[in-house]
Amino acid sequence: MLNKLSIALLAFCLALLCITSSAQAVEKNDLNITVNYFLTNNKVPYLMVKVTTKINGKFTNVSGIGLKLFLDKDSTGTFIGKAFSNEKGEAFANIPPSVKSEWATSQKHTFLAVFDGDKKYEASKAELTISKAKVLIEAGSDKTVTATVFELKDTAWVPAKGVEVVLAVKRMGADLTINETPTFTTDSTGKVSGDFKRDSIPGDAKGNIVLVAKITDNDQYGNLRVEKVVNWGAKFVAVSNFDKRTLFATRTKAPVWLMLVATSIIIAVWGILIFLVVNILKIKKMGNNTL
Amino acid sequence: MEKSIENDKIINDLLPQKFGKAGKIWVGTLIAICLIGLFAYIRQLRYGLVVTSMRDYVSWGIYISNFVFFVAISLVGSLITAIFRLAGVKWGAPLTRIAEIIAVAAIIFASIIIIVDMGSPERFYFLFIYGRIQSPIIWDVIVIGTYFFISILLLYYPLLPDIKILLRFKERSGKRLYKFYNFIGSFWKGTPEQFKLSEKAINILCISIIPVAFTIHTVTSWLFATTYRPGWDSTNFGAYFIAGAFLVGAGSVIVAMYIFRRAYNLEKYITEDHFDKMGRVLVLLALLYTYFNVNEFLTPFFKMKKSEEGYLNDLFTGHFSIVFWFAIFIGIILPIIILLFKGGRKPLPVFIVGIMVVVGAWFKRYLIVTPTLLHPFMPMHDVPENFHSYFPSWEEWAITLGSLAGTMLIITLLARIFPIIPIEETLSEHHESTIKNENA
Repeated sequence: MLNKLSIALLAFCLALLCITSSAQAVEKNDLNITVNYFLTNNKVPYLMVKVTTKINGKFTNVSGIGLKLFLDKDSTGTFIGKAFSNEKGEAFANIPPSVKSEWATSQKHTFLAVFDGDKKYEASKAELTISKAKVLIEAGSDKTVTATVFELKDTAWVPAKGVEVVLAVKRMGADLTINETPTFTTDSTGKVSGDFKRDSIPGDAKGNIVLVAKITDNDQYGNLRVEKVVNWGAKFVAVSNFDKRTLFATRTKAPVWLMLVATSIIIAVWGILIFLVVNILKIKKMGNNTL
Repeated sequence: MEKSIENDKIINDLLPQKFGKAGKIWVGTLIAICLIGLFAYIRQLRYGLVVTSMRDYVSWGIYISNFVFFVAISLVGSLITAIFRLAGVKWGAPLTRIAEIIAVAAIIFASIIIIVDMGSPERFYFLFIYGRIQSPIIWDVIVIGTYFFISILLLYYPLLPDIKILLRFKERSGKRLYKFYNFIGSFWKGTPEQFKLSEKAINILCISIIPVAFTIHTVTSWLFATTYRPGWDSTNFGAYFIAGAFLVGAGSVIVAMYIFRRAYNLEKYITEDHFDKMGRVLVLLALLYTYFNVNEFLTPFFKMKKSEEGYLNDLFTGHFSIVFWFAIFIGIILPIIILLFKGGRKPLPVFIVGIMVVVGAWFKRYLIVTPTLLHPFMPMHDVPENFHSYFPSWEEWAITLGSLAGTMLIITLLARIFPIIPIEETLSEHHESTIKNENA
């Protein structure tokens, strides 16, 4: 009896050990965090933090990760805010007025993104250092597009040389370059210039299109973008089929040709059938007269 | 005197006969199946289409398969009566009435089953009130109505001379039937003028029924082909449907002629030669349908477009493969092989082949409708499990079998009321052949 009890106790202990060890075997994944800086139309800059993890050798977006964002140093006074990653693994935050004084202290800043860790993921952090810069765009009467890149040196904006700039037109899905040149590089005056070759491109009802000058993923300046509306596009004349005679309109708006064809066929066939019914009446009359 | 005795014998053989014991059991069974179908339909009316297995994806199920099957069968009226007549095929004359009766019965139930599929029957009324001429569904409604009317006329005109004969046998017909015959054809005196008008009308009907018949099934195929879905997105569909319709129609005539021949002892009128010739016609139609099937499946199989891959694999090797290959081999290929042999064109083998063709054709229509709906271009997301498959509910089976039984019931009742083989035409032919023999 005692022997059986000992075996049962031993089995219970072994099972418990297995459960505990399997629980301990759950390992936390590492997160990859990257910080990106954006400035559009030289207004309020914002940050986009991308969160991924490696699953089966592939980077996968991670949603629902809470990130604390700081300007230059991890302290209360430089706290930008807390942002959560969406289903694409992206968390967004504007640079708030609360860090305005800190922002004004220097032309170069470092952004910190801190994740404290949770049950699934290890704690992680990332940083990005950028220099303050801005882009200006001009449209010439001869349909040349000129962009000028400036960087902040001490308290003055000076031209930035050797920066790759894309000159483009804003379209529905993406930006279309203004000509065949994919990127332009700024000269000593910080300028790039290109001829607009998309003459027949559709604009809005007035022919307005949006020119874009942008710097993408630049190590020093981040992502800068500036837009300008010009009247260089073809006027878009909206063609509405609403309430017109089409195959997909309501019954009263059927195409005339279809109504004519259908009615002609129906009249022709049913005309014959009516003739044949009349023929029966004729045969009947003949039969009655034969009496 | 001898001629009169022979004529009386022919008339006696071909007059409609009262149901015997087997006939009564047959009619009783069909009525019972129809009543079960009616009960299922009442349940559908009471609880809605939810009693069926049709859901968001498979919104056309066994009802529409059945509808296409009925429309296909109805085409036989134009084949046997019109095409044979215009082509000068004399041997087909005894089969014309069978073909027309099948056509009328099938088109009636094609119309009924489409109303069943709509759920609430008042939707049929709405179709006329709110229907759009741009919609192939309206074209189908118009063309089915027209075809029904033409089929009735094509059944009625050749009946007139026979009605005159039927009216001579008041006692045999019974009081009610005699009244009915009197009502529909007492005016037929068989004068040359009446014959002339009747012949002219039949010729006009034979010419006009062919384009209408082609239209009815082409438009039915367009219900599918004008919809952008895997398996339906085909320019081949009209011709493919018509070829299949002629095959199943001919198959159904063969089945009916064998049964009527046995039930009413018509061996002298529906001869082995008729089976041999109908067997040959069936081979021709089966080869034609094979050709369209190759066109319909080989090119998509060769391309194997990603969007159609699931549908095609499901047919060739997947969930529907048994039914698919059954429909191809039992419904098309094996009939061709059997009928190529002279022994295969004897009445019994041809009858069996006819059944194979009809059963295969029914399943073929099922395969045209359901697998496509289970493979939409956009993947199915976040839907209940039963949306991913379709198997008809008992109500759907009962209504479908009820409609098939109803069709057979109409055929049986029309065969009880009217001569299944045109009497006047048989007498004329007999007279002509006697004169020919005497001259020879």
